[in-house]
Amino acid sequence: MIVVAPKPKSEPKKFKADFWKTKDFKVSIGEIVEKEGGISEEKTPMGPTPKPNVTDLRSWDMKLLGRYEPFYAPFCDMCCLCTFGKCDLLNKKGACGIDSEAQQARIVLLACNIGTAAHAGHGRHLLHHLIEELGEDYPLDLGLNIDIEAPITRTIIGKKPQNLADLDKTLSYVEEQLSHLLSACHTGQEGSSLDFESKALHSGVMDDLAREVGDIAQIVALNMPKGDGDAPLVEMGVGTIDNTKPVVLCIGHNVLPGSSVMDYLDETGQEEDLEVCGICCAAIDISRYNDRAKVVGPLSRQLKFIRSGVADVIIVDEQCIRTDVLEEAQKKNTAVIATTDKMCLGLPDMTDKDPDLIVSKLLNKEIEGALILDPEKVGEVSVKVAKIIAPEREKLKLLPELDEVQKMAAECTECGWCTRVCPNSKPMMEAVIAAKEGDFSGFEELYLNDVCYSCGRCEQECERELPLMSMLAKVGEKLAKTEKFNIRAGRGPVQDVEIRRVGAPLVLGDIPGVIAIVGCSNYPNGGKEVAEMAKEFLERNYIVVATGCGAMSIGEYLDEEGKTLYEQYTGDFDARGLLNIGSCVSNAHISGACIKIANIFAKKPLEGNFEEIADYILNRVGACGIAWGAYSQKAAAIATGFNRWGVPAVVGPHGSKYRRLLLGRTDKKENWKIKDLRTGKVMDGEPAPEHLIYAAENMEEAIVMTAKLCIRPTDTGKGRQIKLNHYIDLYKRYHGRLPPDIHLFVRNEKDIPITYKKDVKEILEEVGWEPREIPQEPSLMGMGGD
Amino acid sequence: MANERVIPWQPTVIAGPKQALLVTPETAELMIKKAKRPLFILGPLVKEDPLLTYATKIAEKWNLQVVTTADAYKPFNDKGLNPTAYGVVEIVNLLKDPEWQGVDGEGQHDLVIFMGCIYYIASQGLSSLKHYAPHLKTLTICKFFHSNADASFPNLKDEEWFKYLEKMGEVG
Repeated sequence: MIVVAPKPKSEPKKFKADFWKTKDFKVSIGEIVEKEGGISEEKTPMGPTPKPNVTDLRSWDMKLLGRYEPFYAPFCDMCCLCTFGKCDLLNKKGACGIDSEAQQARIVLLACNIGTAAHAGHGRHLLHHLIEELGEDYPLDLGLNIDIEAPITRTIIGKKPQNLADLDKTLSYVEEQLSHLLSACHTGQEGSSLDFESKALHSGVMDDLAREVGDIAQIVALNMPKGDGDAPLVEMGVGTIDNTKPVVLCIGHNVLPGSSVMDYLDETGQEEDLEVCGICCAAIDISRYNDRAKVVGPLSRQLKFIRSGVADVIIVDEQCIRTDVLEEAQKKNTAVIATTDKMCLGLPDMTDKDPDLIVSKLLNKEIEGALILDPEKVGEVSVKVAKIIAPEREKLKLLPELDEVQKMAAECTECGWCTRVCPNSKPMMEAVIAAKEGDFSGFEELYLNDVCYSCGRCEQECERELPLMSMLAKVGEKLAKTEKFNIRAGRGPVQDVEIRRVGAPLVLGDIPGVIAIVGCSNYPNGGKEVAEMAKEFLERNYIVVATGCGAMSIGEYLDEEGKTLYEQYTGDFDARGLLNIGSCVSNAHISGACIKIANIFAKKPLEGNFEEIADYILNRVGACGIAWGAYSQKAAAIATGFNRWGVPAVVGPHGSKYRRLLLGRTDKKENWKIKDLRTGKVMDGEPAPEHLIYAAENMEEAIVMTAKLCIRPTDTGKGRQIKLNHYIDLYKRYHGRLPPDIHLFVRNEKDIPITYKKDVKEILEEVGWEPREIPQEPSLMGMGGD
Repeated sequence: MANERVIPWQPTVIAGPKQALLVTPETAELMIKKAKRPLFILGPLVKEDPLLTYATKIAEKWNLQVVTTADAYKPFNDKGLNPTAYGVVEIVNLLKDPEWQGVDGEGQHDLVIFMGCIYYIASQGLSSLKHYAPHLKTLTICKFFHSNADASFPNLKDEEWFKYLEKMGEVG
C-alpha cells in the first residue's frame, strides 16, 4: 500500500476575520488553538506518519536496507557490554544469543543514540535557558525570506512550530523516542541486525530534529544570521589573535557561555581590551552571534593551541573537548571554567557564588577551576580573571626555545612507537630524528595544514616522555603567526527564494549537485584536502555547503592572491556558491534544504509525510555529503539522519571504523527496480545513488565517488550529460581511462556527454548496452518492504 | 624484539583472541600455490617504484588476477597487469558474498592477497572478511603485521620487506 499525505483538493474557504466571533464559535483542531484576534493558522492536510514511533517508518527503512545492504567491519571481535561476557563473536554467538552482525548494528545504534543525545542535551540546555530568559511565547521569526522555518519539524512532528514552547514539545518527543531507542541496546532486546539499523535510522532523524530545534532556538533568540548569504567575514587562524591582550578561549559547541563573554565586554565597554576566540563549533556559533569573536580553527588545533599558552582563560562547554583539558591548562596556569552539566571536570560548583568571590578563588588558586552553570556569570568571571592573570602569565605564553626542542629530540631512542600509535602513521619519529640535528622541517610538515591533528597519542607512548606536542607547537609557532584567514560567519537556513531559484535546475540536473562538506577533523592527511575537494566542486558549478570543522578547514586554504575560498565564491545557495551554514547543529538546514525542494518546487506536503519526502529526495535531489574527518558519535548520527532522508554520504578512511557502511550492489539488477508512480509500472532502475554511506580510501577516490553519487534517476538528458561529464572527467583524471560502469548511467543516447561521445559509445557497444525507458516519477514506494 | 614483529603495526587494531599466522615469503608462496582462484588487491601505498615493480613481478610470476583500490589503477595498468578498479570497501563487500562470481565472472576467489592499502581501512576490510567470508583466506604482504588477516608478513623494515617481495617475485 502506498501511503502519502492527501493533497488539498481545493483552496480552503475564506471567511471574513470576524466570522467565528459573530457565530460565537470556538475552534480547536488538534493543538491549533484560537489566538487573540483570530485563528492561528489554516488546517494543513496531515500525512500518514506524524510523530512516528520507532517502528512507524520501518517499512521505508527496510526498502533502503534492501537496496543498500549493511556492510559490517567489526572493530572488535568481542562484546563486553554485560557480565555474561566478554563474548567472542567471531563465527560464534554470544551468551545472550547475539551474533556478530547484530552486535555491529547494535553498536551503530548506540553510537547514533549517543550523538542524538548530545545534540538533544545541547538543544535542551539552550532552550531551557532561552525560555527562562525570553518566555515560552517568544516567536520563531526567521525573517521575511524563510516561510518554511522548520522543514524537519514540520515533516516529522506534523506541525509548524510557532514559538519556543513548540520547540520544547518537539524536543520532548525526541527525548521520548530516544529512550525507546536506547533501551533497544540493552542486553536481550533486539536480535535482528536490520531492525537495529532501522532504529539507528530513526535515531538519525531524531538527531535531525534535535539539531533543528537547537539551531532555530539560537538563531531567533540570539539574533544570528537568518539565511544571509552575505553574512560577515570573520577572522580565523592563530595568527589573527593578538596575544598581547588577555585571551579568552571557548571550546566546544554551546554558544551561551561565549555569547555572555561578548555581552559582558560590550556592556562594560571593554570590547577592544580582550580577545575572545573559539575552537570547534563554539567558535562558529560565537562568531555568528558577534563577528568580533575569532575562530582559532577546527578541533585539530585543540592541544597545540592549549599548549601554546596563548589562552589566559579556557571556557569549556560540551562535546569534543579534550577530557584532560584541566590538566593541560594547569601546566600553563590557564584558568578553566566548566559551564555545563555534561562536563564538570571534578570542579567545585560556584554557580551561586558572588562573581568577585569566584574570581578571587581562581586567582588565589584556592580552587583548581570553577564550574559555573550560569552563562551570564561566566562572562563576567572569565573577563575579570583574564585581565588580571594575563600580565602574570607572560612567560607562560612562551613555548620551549628551539635549542631546547633540539636537546629534547636528542633523547629520542628511535624506538618508532610514536609513529606506530599515530592514527595516520605520520612520521613523528623521523621528525624528531631530524630535529636532533637542528632540522625542523619534519615537524613543520606535520604542523602545516594540521597533518598532525595533535591527538597526543605519540606522547603517551614515548618511553622518554618527550613533550612531542609542545615541540610541534614550538616549531609551528612562526608558521602559526602567518595563519590569517577569513571564514564567512554561519548563515543558517537556506532561504525559500533560493530554493525557488535552484529547485528546477537541481532536480533536473543542470546544477550537478549539492555537496555538503561536514563533520570533524579526523583527516587522513590534514585539512587541506577538504579545501581541495570544495574547490574542485565549486569550479564545476556545484553548490557547496559546509558546517563545523569542515567549514573551518575550507577557510584555511589560500589561493595565490592570498584569498580564501569564502572570499572567492558567493555565499548564496546557487551554482558556485560556498555556504558556511554554521555549526554541527546547523546541519539540520542541509537536510532541511532538500526537504524544502520537495515542498516548494514539487509541492509535496510536508506535515507527517516523511516517506514521500524522503522518496522524493532519494530519487531526485542530487545531494551528497562528505564527512572527510568524521570521528564522533554525533557525526554518526548526522550521517545516518541524512541517509534516512535519502542523502548519501562519503566518509574518509577512518569512517570505516564506524563498523557499518550501506553499500549498493550494481551487479544485483533486481535491487534497483523502481516503480514509476505516473504509470504504476515496476521497471528496471539504475544505481543512482549507488551507495548510501561509503568510506573512501583517499581523497581522489572520494572526489570521483561524490560526483557519481549526485546522479539521480530523474535527471533530464541535459542534466545527466552534465553530471556524467564531471564523473567521466574526474575518473579519467585519476584512473587514466573512462569509468567502466558508465553504461549503467546512460539511459539513452541523449545522456552521453558530447565531449566523450565516441569513447562512451565504444564502451556501450562492448557491453551490449541498449537504451531503456526513463521513469517519469521514480519511487521506492509501493515496492518491497511495505 | 621478536615479539614486536607480530604486534599489529597499529597495536590497537587487536580485535580478539584470533591472530593472523605470521608467514615468510616461502609460506606465502605455498598459500598462493595451493589456491585455485587467488586475487591480488593492490592499494595506493604501492603505486610507486620500487614497490610498483615488486608487486607487478609477483602478479606476473603467479599469474594473479589484480584489483586496484583508490587511485592505484593507472600505474598498474601501465605495467600491463590489466587490473580491475574498485574501492577497497566495494571489493571487500563483493568478496564476502559466497555467490559473487569473482572479477572474471568465473567464480568466487579462495585466496585474497592484500598489499598497499591504507593500514586501518585495510584492517577493517580484513576484519569483515574474517567474520563474514569463511569461504576464503586472506594474506597480507605489506610491511605491517595485520592481525585481522589469516596470514600476514610481520612488521618489517624497508630493506627486509623488499627482500621478501623480491623472493616472491623471483622467477625460476
